[in-house]
Amino acid sequence: MKVSLFVTCLVDQMWTSIGVSSVEVLRRVGCEVEFDKRQTCCAQPAFNTGYLDEARLVARRFISIFEESKADAIVSPSGSCTAMVHHYPQLFAGDSKWLPRAQAIAAKTHELSSFLVRVLKKEDVGASWNGRLTWHDACHGLRDLNIKSEPRALIRNVRGAEFVELEHADSCCGFGGTFSVKYPEISVAILDQKIDAIERAGVQAVVSGDASCLMQIGGRLSRKGSKVRVMHLAELLNESSQQ
Amino acid sequence: MSNSARESILGSIRTHLAASPAPDVEEHQAPPKIPVSKSDPINRFKESVESVAGHCIITTDATNVLKQILTELNAQRIAYSDNPPNAHDIFGYEVGISTAQAAIAETGTLVLDSACERHRLVSLVPPVHIAIVNASAVVETLSDALALLQKKEISPAITFITGPSRTADIELTLAIGVHGPQELYVIVDGSK
Amino acid sequence: MNHLSSETFKENARAALADVQLRGALKNATSLFGARRKEAAASLPNWEDLRTQARAIKDEVLLHLDRYLEEFVRNAESRGATVHWARDAAEANTIICGLAKERNARIVVKSKSMTTEETHLNDALEAAGMQVIETDLGEYIIQLAHEPPSHIIAPAIHKTRQQIGELFTAELGMPPTDNVDQMTSTARAKLRDRFAAADVGISGVNFAVAETGTIVIVENEGNIRLTTSLPRLHIAVMGIEKVIPRFTDLDVFLKLLPRSGTGQRLTTYQSFITGTKRAPTDEGPDELHIVLLDNGRSRMLAHPVTRQSLACIRCGACLNACPVYQQVGGHAYGSVYPGPIGAVITPQLMGIQKAAQLPYASSLCGACREVCPVKIDIPRLLLHLRGEISPRKGSRAERVAFKMWARVMTSPSLYKLSSVAGRILQRVTPISRAWTNGRDLRPIESKSFHDLWSNE
Repeated sequence: MKVSLFVTCLVDQMWTSIGVSSVEVLRRVGCEVEFDKRQTCCAQPAFNTGYLDEARLVARRFISIFEESKADAIVSPSGSCTAMVHHYPQLFAGDSKWLPRAQAIAAKTHELSSFLVRVLKKEDVGASWNGRLTWHDACHGLRDLNIKSEPRALIRNVRGAEFVELEHADSCCGFGGTFSVKYPEISVAILDQKIDAIERAGVQAVVSGDASCLMQIGGRLSRKGSKVRVMHLAELLNESSQQ
Repeated sequence: MSNSARESILGSIRTHLAASPAPDVEEHQAPPKIPVSKSDPINRFKESVESVAGHCIITTDATNVLKQILTELNAQRIAYSDNPPNAHDIFGYEVGISTAQAAIAETGTLVLDSACERHRLVSLVPPVHIAIVNASAVVETLSDALALLQKKEISPAITFITGPSRTADIELTLAIGVHGPQELYVIVDGSK
Repeated sequence: MNHLSSETFKENARAALADVQLRGALKNATSLFGARRKEAAASLPNWEDLRTQARAIKDEVLLHLDRYLEEFVRNAESRGATVHWARDAAEANTIICGLAKERNARIVVKSKSMTTEETHLNDALEAAGMQVIETDLGEYIIQLAHEPPSHIIAPAIHKTRQQIGELFTAELGMPPTDNVDQMTSTARAKLRDRFAAADVGISGVNFAVAETGTIVIVENEGNIRLTTSLPRLHIAVMGIEKVIPRFTDLDVFLKLLPRSGTGQRLTTYQSFITGTKRAPTDEGPDELHIVLLDNGRSRMLAHPVTRQSLACIRCGACLNACPVYQQVGGHAYGSVYPGPIGAVITPQLMGIQKAAQLPYASSLCGACREVCPVKIDIPRLLLHLRGEISPRKGSRAERVAFKMWARVMTSPSLYKLSSVAGRILQRVTPISRAWTNGRDLRPIESKSFHDLWSNE
């Protein structure tokens, strides 16, 4: 199975280990991974803030680049970016030239956990990590892509990991893209509910499928001097006792 | 003038609809019916009434049951829906008695039809309401009740009553007995 | 009345976040409401089908709203109701004040109606010399407190029982208590004789059935029944979108509304009112006047995305589910309609200029869409409104920033350059400052994934 990695601008710039882990995990389960260096962004920031013309400019580039790929699937370690690509048909509604191309790319683009479990039918990638951890359901992955059981299935197969379900796991962390800086006080107030739940869960790590949520949660945990670590699912799945 | 406002609003509706791109309207499909439980609707009605803090007695001797309730309540001023006191006086009454034209088992709801009796104030103002309904008038579902009401011309005022009046406006704490009755008794007359 | 404005949402929210009592009250109320709704929905195995059907019915009505309104009016009038059309809030208030004055009305009792809050009817009636009494307990509380409602179905939800107790002691002379039953009986006793003395009863409408001309109003307290049966004149005020086609359609909506709103299978009372009484000696008002209000609703019909705003059945479930509402409450929105649905209809009803901040006050989490009984895609609506506002009304700096962003993201060399610039500037941008208010900022990596891949 040949996979084209859509690493996302956030991971590319601010959390490369998510990209590295994603590649290693995909290779471990037998995929050939290609990375098109021309890629930049899925256009989510512009789309979500209401700058649709700018969003379309960037989306067209995304589509043009990735439709040249011979890979069987485009895989991304981000629920929100994957969901954005799935919104491309909406962005190009009524555009007879770009709509079919948008639909084709959307159909080929998968979030990592969803790709592993639903497409490759793999729930055990041979990972091991000792400790107590919990999962935060990132909103777009959960509500736009219906990702809920897949990450939990993958985590349950991590040897040595004790998984506890987080209270209100499916509540928003308060990031919301530009919302986090347009309304920072509300963003942090929402975030604190999540932090309280994490503290009550008594875990060593919080895992999620979106770097944006991890930045939000991790940023607050470290500000509060917490020992709880944030990890992306790809990073967790890349952990092994051999390392 | 009302007419020009009417034309203006209807015109605005038409213009804006005409300007709209074509929607994708979903098929209007009736959802699958939930299979109704096999147990006796009368008992289910009783359970439903009790679950909303109403009292429900199933009996073949409605007259005596009614007498008993009134004795227990030590009620002096009793209003009857077949000959109710006027709107001013009714505020001084302790008990209001009416019948009900139908009852809904799934929710514990009484159906009162103004075409059949003067229920509006009798079932609302006195702090206790006693309703008598024939066992044969108990239907399974809300939709059954609506269908029944549509069999003839809808009367000017129909009231559905499910339990005594209540509110949760203060800290979402339930308080029973607000503007409507504080107590509801339903007598299901099994003799009919 | 101290109304906050939508135009200062950000400041309003800041003040709300500092109000510890408010946040406690909100937390309790929204989590209780949410839990009850969830349980009630789970108790119906065909819940999802009901939502689909309800939305389909609403779509059908909205696509032919003129026809269904005319059918409703025809049937209501043939049964003795008088129907008035109001293009805007001012016209509605003029009509209603006129009706009351013509009958020399002194005392008006009202049951809860968001539509009359929208038009500020009470102010108009009082200016016309009438005494207006809100009879719904929550509305009665905020009327005494001179505050606007903070929630669509529980207007006083922002107040603790202690605050309400103190209010009743101060305004009604109630002996000090925070016992809910005692407060409720106090309100009941005080309002009792108002119903009997009232000349006019004003209510809202939950559903207006086109097929029969019936208006349906749901409640728990009994004040709506009193308001609509005792006074000689009953005025029912409804937005034009309240119409549903058939009497049997009520089944779907009566299953969805109480469960979504309060977690009940059914509210205590449903009143089905069709025209006026048949004989003068029958019970009930002598006259029924129905006021149909547009006030910007017809404009929303112009696009499928905005049209769905009109499907709302005012259950309040989206408020309870919204992480933003849960933190700041309803007053911060500065609108009669707060929360997710408020964020989308307020700009459309009041004008974008008056409520431009509201569509951005959301993390787009989608919890609202999940709980909406008629499947309104609120996040989609928010994005639609943002798309209308940003290019025209967004700050100049922001518009320029996104134009630059698009250039960077469509040019690999500019993209590479931007990460170099980012590493240098990251701590000083306004964005970083807003972020680091409460959170540590993860630094931009010295080598991007692109760089690392090159070394493969």
